[in-house]
Amino acid sequence: MDKLIVLLPATPLLSALLITLLADRARRRIARLSVGFSVLTFLLAAASLALYLIEGRPQWASFGPGWGSLYLDPLTSVMSLMVAGISLVVHVYSVRYMAEEPGYARFYILLDLMATAILLMVAAGDLVTLLVAWHLIGVLLYFLLGHDAARPAAQRYAFWTFLTYRLGDLPLVLAAVLLYETYGTAALPALFERIAAAPDAQTVAGIPVLSVAALLVALAAFARSAQFPLHTWLPYTMEGPTPVSALMHAGIVNAGGFIINRFAPLFVHAGGVLHLVFAVGLVTAILGSILMLTQNDIKKSLGYSTMGQMGFMFVEVGVGAFSLAIYHLIAHGLFKGTLFLGAGSVIGNARKHDGVPHDDVYTFVVERKPLASRLPWVVAAVITVVVPFLVLGVSRWLMGGDSVGEQGAIILLFFGWVTGAQLLFATYRLRVDNPWRLMAMIILSLVIVVAGYTLIEHGFDLFLYPDRALSERIYAAASIPLATFEVLVTILTAAIVVGWLATYYAAANGRAHRGEASALRLAFYSLISREFYVADVYAWFTQAVLGLSRRLNVWSRWV
Amino acid sequence: MTLLLIASLFLPLFPLSAVLNGALTQLQSPAARCAVLLLWPQLGVALLQIAAHGVPPLFVPWALLTSAFYALRLLTVRDMGRWAGYLATSALALVWALAAGDTPIVDLRLFTFWFSLPPALMALLAHPLIQRFGAAYAGLQGGLIGRLPRLSGVLAVTVLTAVATPPFPGFFALLRLLHALDWTGMLAVLAIWLVWGWAATKLLQGFIFGTDRTSSIADIGRALTLAFTGVLGIFVAAGLYLTRGGL
Repeated sequence: MDKLIVLLPATPLLSALLITLLADRARRRIARLSVGFSVLTFLLAAASLALYLIEGRPQWASFGPGWGSLYLDPLTSVMSLMVAGISLVVHVYSVRYMAEEPGYARFYILLDLMATAILLMVAAGDLVTLLVAWHLIGVLLYFLLGHDAARPAAQRYAFWTFLTYRLGDLPLVLAAVLLYETYGTAALPALFERIAAAPDAQTVAGIPVLSVAALLVALAAFARSAQFPLHTWLPYTMEGPTPVSALMHAGIVNAGGFIINRFAPLFVHAGGVLHLVFAVGLVTAILGSILMLTQNDIKKSLGYSTMGQMGFMFVEVGVGAFSLAIYHLIAHGLFKGTLFLGAGSVIGNARKHDGVPHDDVYTFVVERKPLASRLPWVVAAVITVVVPFLVLGVSRWLMGGDSVGEQGAIILLFFGWVTGAQLLFATYRLRVDNPWRLMAMIILSLVIVVAGYTLIEHGFDLFLYPDRALSERIYAAASIPLATFEVLVTILTAAIVVGWLATYYAAANGRAHRGEASALRLAFYSLISREFYVADVYAWFTQAVLGLSRRLNVWSRWV
Repeated sequence: MTLLLIASLFLPLFPLSAVLNGALTQLQSPAARCAVLLLWPQLGVALLQIAAHGVPPLFVPWALLTSAFYALRLLTVRDMGRWAGYLATSALALVWALAAGDTPIVDLRLFTFWFSLPPALMALLAHPLIQRFGAAYAGLQGGLIGRLPRLSGVLAVTVLTAVATPPFPGFFALLRLLHALDWTGMLAVLAIWLVWGWAATKLLQGFIFGTDRTSSIADIGRALTLAFTGVLGIFVAAGLYLTRGGL
């Protein structure tokens, strides 16, 4: 098993070294070599997961004094398989996609090194190895995004990404130093044992050291996973090659969710930080979704969609559902990777013909011709409010919701409820021959998706956190006082119910906004179209720093 | 105290740092610049060893300010030789912060070496650039990665080494330094590290990225590439062994 853990990051590294030596060979040979090693890496990742399932206990292997260790636990085995799988798909896709591009060998070398760094990160067994891998990902991503050296836009946004990642590296370095100074070990299993034994070991400026360290880890995760206001780099990473965008959005950006899960024992003692994570995730999810809806470029829209999804992932973390966040990042990685790799074909096809079928949806949405009929608005509103709530509530009850995780589960139910209701509202607005049949089919789909999701999530939680006490303590840390929670739930429930009733009433009575937009709406639109001016603020700040640097060089040119 | 002030010529503190940077500007030979960058700071460490008393606490903020000052200046320097000198000044000033924590002299020597070899290699690398383009000036001749992949590769790795990118020894040395500092010191060092990274990307963008205008210029030879790769490989291996991860 020890050898298997080492082979996982070593295999793509060997591939990168071989390609460096054989860089003068034909492109086809280079691609074949790299893809072959990727297949091998994927098989090794699958084998490590299988071995873990057979042996059922974590393994820690050290290869040097102080650092250089690897750790195989459920989180490592699942993440390794996901990373190796996405890396394999990206390698295969790049064979033809990058065939006409200059620097073919360089691209594969960087891709292999990136696979090495990510696998090293997920398997890191100590703080230093984790820091090294974490940092290398940012550096390699810079070169991958800037692969097309002649495009100034690619260079500019590669630089944005690099700088944001470097900014996110700093809190993780601080957290590592702080934890090492407090607990005297860099090895993760030993560190977590000592944290459990002495959670109140030390304070920093009157704040418990674990809260400070957890906050620093969360800050590092925010930068890595494009949380507001550190999100500006993400939508612009499309300027890099499409396979890199796919790898970025399907794998690398998820590192924030991973790092928080890796340091889960810290967050048990940092409930306040979990609340902050929840708030930042919520803001990011809302802003990401708003910005996604206002884009007219498919890739940028996908970029903001990723931002919204990352926000949801942090909301899950914030309520204590750590394993759900991992499940989310895997599911998101798979579907977003597929979307990115397919985006080029969609754009190509759209240039040839619009490809929009002239069916009911087209007639309603594009030609705006009302067809057939729809349900009475009161019935549809009641179904919208009640059905998703019932489906989600029953599925949760069937899985045996526990009292400790109840608050987190209820908050997630709210999200599910709003999402399901949104789906039903979209269905209601369609005028079809048989609205009852359509509504029934949508509800059936909802039941299948929610039941499947809940079932898999439950199994996933048992696999990732076999120590049920730890899982329950994370939920407990994320909880807020019961009275406050109940008041919030009541207000939210009332707002959702009244909101949907008003929406249905307005839709049924044709009170949708028409005519000239108000000044407030225009101001909001310009705010969105400038993406909340966050990038402008950063650009102003960087120009100010560069200006200061220039002045310093002029003033002190003799020193 | 006099010895410490003399040492601050060799482990440069502003404004005495003008001596090192002035010497680097005046020296034309890349080998001479390389030698100065390697040996000059070691003399400073030797003086610290001779000095009977420890480094006064006042030197730590002075060193951090010097380091931050040169890091900030680095952002808009485009001449590679000068860039290497400013980076060396910014990094070597940090030796004082480490020395203030009663660090053994061997560790100080190593710390100094980890941060003086990469700028020394950069000074050497400026030579092939000057030979080909008349100056080693970022932005003068972009897009080297297309026609001069060996030179671009070596340049990129050397610059990354110089700004303490892991797994190069400078990164572990910085981790070691963070141990010796209080919270404000740690934040200052990390901010300086951030600016180094920023400056490195600006430098690389001026050399290896951009539109290729180097149609008839030959790349560096295999032997030189292997020599640089070998030195950097040994540097990494030595760093991994000797720093033990820094923590």
